[in-house]
Amino acid sequence: MAIKVKRTPRPERPPLWKRLVLGELIEGLMVTLVHNFRALREPFTVQYPDEQLPLEPRYRGVPRLRSHPETGEELCISCHQCERICPDRCIHIEDEPHPSGRGKRPRVFTIDYERCCLCGLCVEACPTKPVTSIYMSHDFELARYRRDEFKADLRELYFGKDKVVYGRRS
Amino acid sequence: MFRTQELEINMGPQHPATHGVLRLLLTLDGETIVGMKPIIGYLHRGVEKLSETRTYPQIIPYTDRLDYVASFAENHSYVGAVEKLLGIDPPPRAKYLRVILAEFQRIASHLLWLATHALDIGAMTIFLYTFREREKILDLFEAYCGARLTYNAVRIGGMPFDLPDGWVDAAKRMLDEFPVRLQQYETLLTNNRIWRKRTEGIGVIDADTALAWGLTGPSLRGSGIDYDVRKHLPYEVYDELDFDVPVGERGDTYDRYLVRMEEMRQSRRIILQALENLPDGDVMTRVPKRIKAPAGAEAYFMTESPRGEMSVYLQADGSDKPYRVRFRSPSFNNLQALPVLSKGHMVADVIALIGTIDIVLGCVDR
Repeated sequence: MAIKVKRTPRPERPPLWKRLVLGELIEGLMVTLVHNFRALREPFTVQYPDEQLPLEPRYRGVPRLRSHPETGEELCISCHQCERICPDRCIHIEDEPHPSGRGKRPRVFTIDYERCCLCGLCVEACPTKPVTSIYMSHDFELARYRRDEFKADLRELYFGKDKVVYGRRS
Repeated sequence: MFRTQELEINMGPQHPATHGVLRLLLTLDGETIVGMKPIIGYLHRGVEKLSETRTYPQIIPYTDRLDYVASFAENHSYVGAVEKLLGIDPPPRAKYLRVILAEFQRIASHLLWLATHALDIGAMTIFLYTFREREKILDLFEAYCGARLTYNAVRIGGMPFDLPDGWVDAAKRMLDEFPVRLQQYETLLTNNRIWRKRTEGIGVIDADTALAWGLTGPSLRGSGIDYDVRKHLPYEVYDELDFDVPVGERGDTYDRYLVRMEEMRQSRRIILQALENLPDGDVMTRVPKRIKAPAGAEAYFMTESPRGEMSVYLQADGSDKPYRVRFRSPSFNNLQALPVLSKGHMVADVIALIGTIDIVLGCVDR
């Protein structure tokens, strides 16, 4: 197959009169001027953290656990698949027999947010129906004061952590 | 009584214009560079060795962190190598999705290159404008896979998701206004006398030298060689799509700028064609849950990443983990040529030259 090559010729220098009146620089300044006025009407930036950009539904924040959306039962069956797929090995699970006598449930379920790389492989491995027990939440503001606070236990994974509001929201 | 002496100075590793943690040991005669030694390794994480202890799917997030500016290209190269190793053929829709996202990634990466390159040379405005467009592409990636930088958006045997509703329209909207934006960047830079004085005739590398140093990607094409993996060893569906390979004439910094600008236009053409021909169907083929490759099997797969030829070599030992993974990163090979490019130039030109070879230190050090 012949390869179509596109030469990128060197643009001619602007004519002498244009260079004398700084024509090409003024053309460039016109672009910035137009942007200047447009930015007054519709600013492109947002004032984070006072304003927040909307997140897409598939956004991958830190992984969390959830229960059945209708019945509220615990979904996790302690199958250890997320623990096995995790490339950072940041999930730790210990099981206990389920109180109903069938299957297992997690006694300890810890995700180390310090090591988690937010890849989302654990969600793809999760076998529970109708929704996956582990899911990627939309939480991304993870600043905490101590390192051990990053080890999320069952309680935090289900109910989240009380959010500290930073910024000028008063 | 008076004598002159060559001066050795360090540039970096914490220098805002070195695009990461690159240390350059410059030998100067006055302000002219007579010798340069790039010192790398400040971002070495041992990904190749680490990969030997991870299963095949687990390595995909690690490839995100190699070239963090264009992580889709890295995902793509690695997954392509695993698919070659196992003889898996992804479904056509997945191939088209990969092409679309890879080209969006190329535009996003070139926009970041343009922003930082111009910023280093002194054009601050363009940085803000290109980041606005890059933001729109990152939004598209966020809508597709949920992440904005480390996508982890390719799976062995296809793609993890189908496109969300409204994605194609959003992509077309972005592409419709993109030529206008590119024209604005060109108005700001192409004929600007400061830009031309800082880039023309700086870092000239002729075709033979460029080949000898193993340059690939736009850095090689700027010297006039039409080597593009997408054309020479077509992968996915690039042989069905119509696009040109831009090449430069003289091989200086200005030529490489022109080549990358034209590449963004060609990427736009590719995406529009791919969106037009996007077939229906599955995005994932059936693969075993525990992926194992036969002992002794090898695969070498290369893709055209925004920076050049990114290739992955895999060797299997029969288990679910690779025996050896080797990433051939374009940034590493392009960085080798920096001493050749910079010989005889001024210290201030080093900044332009680091920009023009478009390195990402995560990819250099691995």
